[in-house]
Amino acid sequence: MIQIIANILIASSLYLLLANSFSLIYYPSRIFHIANAAVISFGAYFVFFFANKFSIPFSVSVALAIVGATLIGLACEVLVYRQMRKKNVPPLAYLIASIGLYVLLQNYISLFFGDDTKIINTAEVTVGNQIFGAYITTIQIITVFVSIALFIAVNWFLHYTATGKSIRAVASNPELCNIYGISSSKIILIAFGIGSALAAIAGILTAMDTSMTPTFGFNLLLYGVVAMIIGGIGSTRGLIAGALLVATAQHLAAYYIDTKWMDAITYIILILFLIWKPLGFSGKRLKKVEV
Amino acid sequence: MEYILHLFILICFYTLLSQSLNLSAGFTGLISLAHAGFYGIGAYTTSILSTQFGFSFWLSIPLAMFISGVISLIVSLIALRTVEDYFIICTMGIQVILSSIMNNWMDLTRGPLGIPGIPSISFFGITLDSKMSFLLLSLFFVALVWFVLRNVSKSGFGKTLLAISEDEIYSQSIGKNVYLSKTVSFTLSAMFAAIPGTLYAHYISYIDPTSFTVAESIFVLSIVIIGGLGNLTGSFLASAFLVLLPEALRFVGMPDNIAANMRQIIYGLILVAVMMTGKNGVKELFTSKAKRTA
Repeated sequence: MIQIIANILIASSLYLLLANSFSLIYYPSRIFHIANAAVISFGAYFVFFFANKFSIPFSVSVALAIVGATLIGLACEVLVYRQMRKKNVPPLAYLIASIGLYVLLQNYISLFFGDDTKIINTAEVTVGNQIFGAYITTIQIITVFVSIALFIAVNWFLHYTATGKSIRAVASNPELCNIYGISSSKIILIAFGIGSALAAIAGILTAMDTSMTPTFGFNLLLYGVVAMIIGGIGSTRGLIAGALLVATAQHLAAYYIDTKWMDAITYIILILFLIWKPLGFSGKRLKKVEV
Repeated sequence: MEYILHLFILICFYTLLSQSLNLSAGFTGLISLAHAGFYGIGAYTTSILSTQFGFSFWLSIPLAMFISGVISLIVSLIALRTVEDYFIICTMGIQVILSSIMNNWMDLTRGPLGIPGIPSISFFGITLDSKMSFLLLSLFFVALVWFVLRNVSKSGFGKTLLAISEDEIYSQSIGKNVYLSKTVSFTLSAMFAAIPGTLYAHYISYIDPTSFTVAESIFVLSIVIIGGLGNLTGSFLASAFLVLLPEALRFVGMPDNIAANMRQIIYGLILVAVMMTGKNGVKELFTSKAKRTA
C-alpha cells in the first residue's frame, strides 16, 4: 500500500511538471502545442546522443540536451506559429499544424536513432532506496524534488517578476498588451522557451527512470494535457489536483484491474470531466468556449 | 503486377476512409481523431462474425456499419458537447480507449495476437481471392460511397452542414437543428468508415490492433486536410499520393526503413505547410471561419 502511495506521488509530480510545461505555453499563446511531445522525446534522445555517443560528462550532456530541445521548441514558435499568427488563421489550424510538426519531428528521431527502446546509461548503479517500506530509486527521488522545485519556481516567476506578469497579461488579453507596449510575440516566445525546457527535463527524467522510444513523449504529453484540462486552465491549485487525480486513478487501476488499462482509465476520466465539469476544478472559463 | 494491384486496393481503402472522414471533418467542421477506431470496429466486427459464427461478408458489412453507427452515436453524445481544440482532444481520447479495448479485451479481440484466418469474400458462389477481383469490388464500394457522399453534400442537409461549419450560431438562429445535424453527420461518417474496415479484414485475412491506432487516425486526417476539407476528389488524389509516395521514394533508391520515416516526414511537412499558407481547399473553409473569430 505504501508502495502504491509512493508511486502515485512520483507519477503525480512528473505529471505536474508536464502539465506545467504544457499550460505555460497554452496559457499565453492558446496553441495546443502537441509538438511539445517531440520536444520531450528530443530532450531524452539528446542526452543519449551526447552522453553515450560522444561520452561527454553526464551533467554537461543534460545541460546541452535541455538547450537543444528548447531550441527546437523555439523553432516551432518562430518558424511556424508566429507566421500563422501574422496570417490570422483560425484557432483550429494551430492544433492541426502542431500535429504535423509532431509527426515531422518524431520521425526525425526515428530516422536518426531508430525505433528500438533505448536506455540512458548513467555511471552510477541505481539501487532502490527503502523509505517507509517502499522501494524508490534515486532518480525517482530526484524527479519528485525537481518537479516540485520547478513548479514553485515557475509560479514564483509568473507572479513576482515583470516578465512573468507579462505572460499572465498576454494570457488574459494579447491585444490590450500590445497597446500597452508589451510585445505579445516576444512574451509568447519566452513562454515557449521555458515550457520547452520543462518538457525536456520531464523527458530526461522519465527516460532515466525507465527507457525511451521515439514516441514515448506523446503519452507523457497527453497525461500532462489531461491533468491540465481536469485542473482547469490557468489555475495553480487545479494543476496539482489534476496531476494527483490522474496519477491516483492510473495507479489504482493498475493495482486493482491491470496495468494495461491505465491509458483507457486516463481518458475515461478526461471524458467524464469534459461532460460534467468541462471547466475543470478551477471552474475558470476559457474565452474560446464562450462563443 | 500483383503488387501494383495491391497498391490500387490500398488507395481504394484510404479513399473510402478519407472521404467518409471528410463528411464530418470537411463539411461539418468536426475534426475527429477517432476515425481509425471506427475503421477498426468495422474490421473487428466482420472478423469476429466470419471466423466464429460463419457470417458471410454481405451480411457482416451492414452489421459492421450498424455497430459502428451505434458506437459513434454514443461517442457523439459525449464528444459533441465540446468544441474546437477540446473536440479533437476528446475524439483522440476516444480513439485511445477504442485501441485499448482492441488491445486488451482478450476474450473478444484476442488482443495483440490479432484475429487470423478471415475468409475471402464469396460472391454468388464465386470466391474473390484474386487481387483483380478484389480491386473491382473495392472500386464498386468507392464509387458507391463517393456517389452517396456527393449527393449528401449537394442536398439540403449538406448545405446545412456547410452552414454549421461556417457559422454555428447563425445556422441555429435560422432554425437549423445544429446538434442533430452534427450527430447525423458524425454517425454517418463513422458508418462509412466501417466499410473499408470490413474490406480490409477480408483482404488481408488477418487483423491486429496496430492497424487502428492514433497514428492511423492522424494519417487519415492528414489525407483529408492535404486533399482539402470538403473536397471529395481532393481526398481521392491525396490518398493516391500518400499511398504511392513510399513507392516513389523506394524507386529513387531509398531503403525501406528510411522510406517509411521519410513518408511521414513529408506528410507532416505538407500538413504544416498547408496550415501555414491556408491554400489547397483548406482556404475556403478557413477564411470564412477566420472572419468570424477575428
